[in-house]
Amino acid sequence: MKNTPIIYLTLIIVSLFSFSCTENRYVDEPGNLVPKTVDQDVALPSISVNGALLHSEAFGPRDSTLIVCIHGGPGGDYRYMLNCKSLATKGFRVVFYDQRGSGLSQRFPKNWYKSQGSNAINKIFYDELKGIIYHYRTAASQKVILLGQSWGAMLATGYSGKYPHDVDGLIVAEPGGLEWQDVMDYISRSRSFKLWGEALNDATYIDQFMTGKENQHEILDYKAGLISSTNTIVGDVGAKLGSNAPNYVASRSGAVVNAASYELGQDTKPDFSAGINQFTKKVLFIYSSKNKAYPDIWAAKMSSVYNNKEIFKAEGVGHSGMLDQIDFWTTIMEPKIIAYIKSL
Amino acid sequence: MKRLTIKSIFIIANFVFFQNRIAAQVINWGNQNYQGRHLLNATLGTDYGITAGLGYHYRISLRKFPVWIGSELSIPAGNELADDYKFKLGAQIRIATIHHFLLSARIQAISRRYHNQSVRLFNFGSDFAGTIGYYQKRWFMGVETGFDKAIVTNFKHSEWYRKNIYNEVQDGWYEPATGGNFYYGLQGGLSIKKVDFSIKVEKVLQQDFKSKPLLPLIGQFGVNFKF
Repeated sequence: MKNTPIIYLTLIIVSLFSFSCTENRYVDEPGNLVPKTVDQDVALPSISVNGALLHSEAFGPRDSTLIVCIHGGPGGDYRYMLNCKSLATKGFRVVFYDQRGSGLSQRFPKNWYKSQGSNAINKIFYDELKGIIYHYRTAASQKVILLGQSWGAMLATGYSGKYPHDVDGLIVAEPGGLEWQDVMDYISRSRSFKLWGEALNDATYIDQFMTGKENQHEILDYKAGLISSTNTIVGDVGAKLGSNAPNYVASRSGAVVNAASYELGQDTKPDFSAGINQFTKKVLFIYSSKNKAYPDIWAAKMSSVYNNKEIFKAEGVGHSGMLDQIDFWTTIMEPKIIAYIKSL
Repeated sequence: MKRLTIKSIFIIANFVFFQNRIAAQVINWGNQNYQGRHLLNATLGTDYGITAGLGYHYRISLRKFPVWIGSELSIPAGNELADDYKFKLGAQIRIATIHHFLLSARIQAISRRYHNQSVRLFNFGSDFAGTIGYYQKRWFMGVETGFDKAIVTNFKHSEWYRKNIYNEVQDGWYEPATGGNFYYGLQGGLSIKKVDFSIKVEKVLQQDFKSKPLLPLIGQFGVNFKF
């Protein structure tokens, strides 16, 4: 038995190296852990805008008032906004698109975003929105309404400030912040973790199971999706879309565009309220009662930049609930939005 | 996948069978007077989360070299204490000594679990580390560097995930390796009779030598009791 310890150690070492690749399944293979994007799955609805293939679709009469739905993130997708599709049955042309690198749209490497320089927000997001409107608009006289939620509301505000005469109506739901410092304040309040809490552990513990390089999108997207899927602070409970849901469930968090956008924001300190004082049409400003990071005082501060506004507090729902909860949408939000558009 | 599962069972059985004979933690190799054959240890710190751990180790002699073999279990803080854990089995061996300077190596097999609303992950991995230190009877300090590899991982997604995020997500064993992290840093401690108090502070870097985990520090306060 003198050699027993050697035998034990040998067994340990042999065991450690005995995992072999008999039948590989890769974490970074498209479709395994995160859904395929439009450049990987031609069956998905897509359009080409500014050199990117975007996941996009539109509903309703082609020539009627255009409502462009702009999702949150950066890096989110439009799936949770699909209740707005019912506006098509009320005579509007409703447009959805996943921003470049977000959702099911084509991904780009991080250095592509960073290479856009000091004017990156303009080149990446405003030009893209302009391209979307250009793609779907059938006549110069066709009215354009922007409907943005969270980051989408920030983007819609920035675009309306830059092109105040190209936008006929602006609906913003809980823009986190408009000046960069406000953006950072909102992020820190809406994503704060308790030191001993499950949420912190859920976010950090997974890093010993999966690691991804800067442009290993599938791995990074998957991990980002796990972290962002729950946030009790903002009061979201998961989308309820009813018959507005498509026949596939496929959401993706664009981790690379998200990280690149924050880094660009830190570098360039964008002000999404720039020029919005030139926008004189009425703005519908919506915020929710269940988002603990968006109290009345924050809503008052964020809405103060709009000259002409109607403020609406969505009672009983959270950050995305004014759009992603079918009951609330049908009974409260959709009538409110239709009334707003008619008032313009 | 069948062959992989059989291998996994073999590995688990192997380690469970020999679990009283393998592993280690921060050890004062210089404190020989009170160094019994058994060592219990408790740790508190950060290790991809706020974690607490317990371990048992047994000392054997491999020719001229003392080896601590044993196991460690740690769990992170959170509302659901048993949903995540890390279990290590392995050995730590003294390789060379020059006066009070000492080189040791650690090799451990890992099984670990992660669970949240979306997924349950179960992973087999390995942890290799080397330590160079200066060891006196009552105190010690050293530098450690190592590599923690997530060799093969089983994914099982929840119904919630399939209903809300992605309905065609693929469950099952994923290999080759799903991740790996290097770590390096300082460790040191004091020894009072049968008890060692140790502190370890290490930086973590992902295997691309560029990216960092969300919590890029391993910090650990440990207490060893030898008998």
